[in-house]
Amino acid sequence: MIDRHEGFLRMRTLQAIVLLIFAVIGLRVAYIQLIDPRYKELARTNVMFSQVEYAPRGEIFDRNGNYIAQNRECYDLMVIYRDINKHGFDSVRFCQIAGIDLPRLRTRLKQARQNPRAPFLITNFLSKEEKLRFDVGGFDGFYTVSRTIRSYPTPIGGNLLGEVGLPSENYRKLHPEVHPNEYIGRTGIEKAYDYVLRGKRGIRVLERNTHGALKGSFMDGIFDTLPEPGKNIVCTIDAKLQLMGEELMAGKVGGAIAIEPATGEILMMVSSPTFDPDRLVGRNRSRTYAELLQNPRNPLYNRAVQGRYPPGSTFKLAQALIGLEEGVLQAHDMHPCHNGYSVGRGVKCHSHKSPIDLYYAIATSCNAYFCYVFRDILDNKAHGGVKNGFDVWHNYVESFGFGGRLGSDFLDESSGALPSRARYDRVYHGSWNSLTVLSLSIGQGEMLCSPLQLANFAATIANRGYYYTPHIVKQIEGIDSIDSRFRERHYTMIDPKHYETIIQGMWDGVNKEGTSTAARLEGFDVCGKTGTAQNPNGKDHSTFLSFAPRNNPKIAISVYIEHGGFGASAALPIASLLEEYYLTDTIRRPALYQRMKELKIAHPNDNKKKRQ
Amino acid sequence: MTTRRSVNSGSLLEGVDLGAVLLYLLIVLIGWVSITAASYNEEITSLFSFSHFYIKQAIWVGLALIVALFVLLIDSQYYHRYAYPLYLAGLGVLLLTLVAGSTKNGAKAWFELGSFAIQPIEFVKIATALALARLMSEYSFSITKVGDIIKSGLIICAPLLIVILQNDTGSGIVLGSFLMVFYREGLNKWLCIPVLLVATLFILSFVLPPLTMLVLLLLVCVLSEMMITRQMRSRLSFLAAIFLTAFVVQALCSLFWPGKIDFYMALLMVSSVAALGVAIYAFRAKLAATFITLALFVGSIIFLPTTNYLFNSVLKSHQQDRILSFLGVLDDPRGADFNVRQAKIAIGSGGLFGKGFLESTQIKNGFVPEKHTDFIFCTLGEEWGFVGTSFVLALFCLLILKLMRMGERQEEPFGRIYCYCVASILMFHVLVNIGMTIGLMPVMGIPLPFMSYGGSSLIAFTILLFIAIRLDASTRRFSFNK
Repeated sequence: MIDRHEGFLRMRTLQAIVLLIFAVIGLRVAYIQLIDPRYKELARTNVMFSQVEYAPRGEIFDRNGNYIAQNRECYDLMVIYRDINKHGFDSVRFCQIAGIDLPRLRTRLKQARQNPRAPFLITNFLSKEEKLRFDVGGFDGFYTVSRTIRSYPTPIGGNLLGEVGLPSENYRKLHPEVHPNEYIGRTGIEKAYDYVLRGKRGIRVLERNTHGALKGSFMDGIFDTLPEPGKNIVCTIDAKLQLMGEELMAGKVGGAIAIEPATGEILMMVSSPTFDPDRLVGRNRSRTYAELLQNPRNPLYNRAVQGRYPPGSTFKLAQALIGLEEGVLQAHDMHPCHNGYSVGRGVKCHSHKSPIDLYYAIATSCNAYFCYVFRDILDNKAHGGVKNGFDVWHNYVESFGFGGRLGSDFLDESSGALPSRARYDRVYHGSWNSLTVLSLSIGQGEMLCSPLQLANFAATIANRGYYYTPHIVKQIEGIDSIDSRFRERHYTMIDPKHYETIIQGMWDGVNKEGTSTAARLEGFDVCGKTGTAQNPNGKDHSTFLSFAPRNNPKIAISVYIEHGGFGASAALPIASLLEEYYLTDTIRRPALYQRMKELKIAHPNDNKKKRQ
Repeated sequence: MTTRRSVNSGSLLEGVDLGAVLLYLLIVLIGWVSITAASYNEEITSLFSFSHFYIKQAIWVGLALIVALFVLLIDSQYYHRYAYPLYLAGLGVLLLTLVAGSTKNGAKAWFELGSFAIQPIEFVKIATALALARLMSEYSFSITKVGDIIKSGLIICAPLLIVILQNDTGSGIVLGSFLMVFYREGLNKWLCIPVLLVATLFILSFVLPPLTMLVLLLLVCVLSEMMITRQMRSRLSFLAAIFLTAFVVQALCSLFWPGKIDFYMALLMVSSVAALGVAIYAFRAKLAATFITLALFVGSIIFLPTTNYLFNSVLKSHQQDRILSFLGVLDDPRGADFNVRQAKIAIGSGGLFGKGFLESTQIKNGFVPEKHTDFIFCTLGEEWGFVGTSFVLALFCLLILKLMRMGERQEEPFGRIYCYCVASILMFHVLVNIGMTIGLMPVMGIPLPFMSYGGSSLIAFTILLFIAIRLDASTRRFSFNK
């Protein structure tokens, strides 16, 4: 026994200990509940399960309001591994319904098992029927997520429209806002206008219990965002003309572009060979893609904007314009030509009457005439030396849009090639003159253009001296006008009156006498210029540059066919048929149409086996 | 006032501390509301479905109140008279569970009667408290006598041992809280402190190397004995001698058997031999305190080299994991630590005012295990926030302090000791149960008194508390009537 006093002291000590213990517990609870913010965050991540809701991609219309790229609903088949009913799971029936083979299902499930609570993609591109059959099947743990993929009502514009697919690692580094499972435009219009077409994905925050089972919106959906559908695009393409162009270019390798000169709108853009864009959608995608990569003619290469070709005789038009502007050439200047230009290494020509004036030289595409013109420009005393003269010439050529990107909405546009004075100085160690670079006079040598640049040149001539940057998009849903850079006139350094002169020559070549007479269309004053470009790989390239009608032109076109021979033999009929179809909405020369459609032109790559 | 009271001398409620009853009722009510929230399931629509925990618990509360009335009706002298028989009966039932009990959560500590399960230890606690009060209140009992200390120790250890055999160590450790009672009854504080320290060392033995443990143990025991006997110089020289001898022994041994004997072994041998000498010395000199510290030391030494054995055999793997994760030895977010982490998240996400009744996200979605039983505090914390938790903590604190005051105003030591026993049991439960939900304590499966779901525990705690109230009431009645 202890005395009362000691007992009292001990009671006090024990009271103090009890109070101390409660103080410690109380402080700890206060710290957890009031001070440490981690737990509130953790509580949220515990129960929140975010489900991405993909936005439907904007659809693409042609200039007449017809669909050229639509959306199709499809479903991703997902699994949460731990929810699978392991005993009642009929994998054979599942495979039949989901359209997946058993070994693949097994590997996917094995991968899903590594994180059994997380949703895992089993297979994608389930059709609506498959999805309905799957829903009836009642497979525990499996569910479908709706999303849209592309569907193309007409099999046109493979390279033009471009393809849609999952983003690469590198792409995601540059665009961190993109979800790894979200489709993005990878080429063509889909790429150029991806930011408009993609829309904004939404998020649904669901509440999840400790077993991972989902039970509706979290906090009545205050964290949810609705997906914002991508905006529709009206593009400048005329679907019917595009289809016709692709039909006519089939079997040939090259590019064909039509532009409306008054606006710079691209009416048609064909790169041949092309492919049906529908084949790059859905389950066949990877097989088709490999096949296209293996194709020696390289269908995935958009020749219309990426091609680099010698312009050949079509470039003589630029030569003439520069000569006229510089004052070293008058329309009635006569130059002789006896099967060619014989100074220096010389340039050959076909036989025609001699001497001739500018009109006739354009109409008949005389090589010698333009050698005179070119040398007169370069050797012009006013500039004090060939090299200065070359610089002047260079500036003129640049103003036509050659040697640089036009700035169209195609991101992979090629700039072609326009040799500079520095380049020649390097190659010829400083000693060169107008004869050294003589092949430039007829669009050969170091000069390279894309079909787009050539079509733009045709539009520039049609406009008598200016062009609008060619573009593919006419209207974006919800946006009043297209990019201001497409509404701006780019003037060349040539006086409009000189254009009339060469247009007369082009008109003569089609309608009077010359290389382009086959392009004549009754009722439409077609103007055109053929080109036959030599190249080191084989037969000459065939090209034709044209616009119609002469006054108030509706269409400017450039057709470039690799190894097509004379300009008049392959490129011209195709361009002419396209003009005819665009201007009259009919084909008046069915026999020619049939012949050109069936024409097959051999390509040096055909014999090469392509390796990847 | 006294006269008015004396008129009602036969009344049931006379002398009953209504404050304590009110605290009890409040805690039970809050507990029931929390159980409702924890077990509420939107999918079960029928409001009075018998499968609801809160309906069942409501019935248990009603039953507990009836039991409380009975406890108040019984004359207080019976508790004193039947303390030993009750204790022995309790031990018998406890032993019976070893044979006929059923297993829940790995502990063979339950009797099942139909759908109703009883955990006998809950009731044995009451009997132990009564028996301890009876023993320690005997006139001949002296807290300074070794024999008496050992007797009272045996009263505590008998059920503890059975409970450990039942694999229900968590429930048994509660009895260790009676140290508080011993202290109040005059046990030398230099004996209380080493007991506490050794208990701490036992937990720490999973992380400390054996040598450190041994050195600490030696220091704790010798120094606390020194504080009791006030023999500074001799005890310090004793310590120094032990360490020096150990050095010498190790040095000599390394000459003959190099590498065989390390310092730990040397120190262990030396202190064992020394312990024998101390035992003889203490016996001859009749130094009780020395004897008890020695017993503590030897007991710990016996456990220490076998700590791993003990740890592995007595504590089942889930308990090991819990203790290891609490000590930070084990770090597995989805494993043992997971429950505590989720409990903290649920409480922490409650904030100041909580999410509101039935608005919990963590509890409702099942992130917290045992949310209506052992982790009921999490439900309270998430739905009622700091306001709710601090209110409940205040209620418990007041109740425990009230019990201590009740003990202090008892005429007889029996009543005082019993009240302190109740206070210490409640304190231990509150500390360990709430402590585990907030990461202060390792996870042990013991309920929060009056709040956790379960009829057996609610009724047992009710009896425990109301016997104290009854004892108090008779004292007060007596004093009123004087």
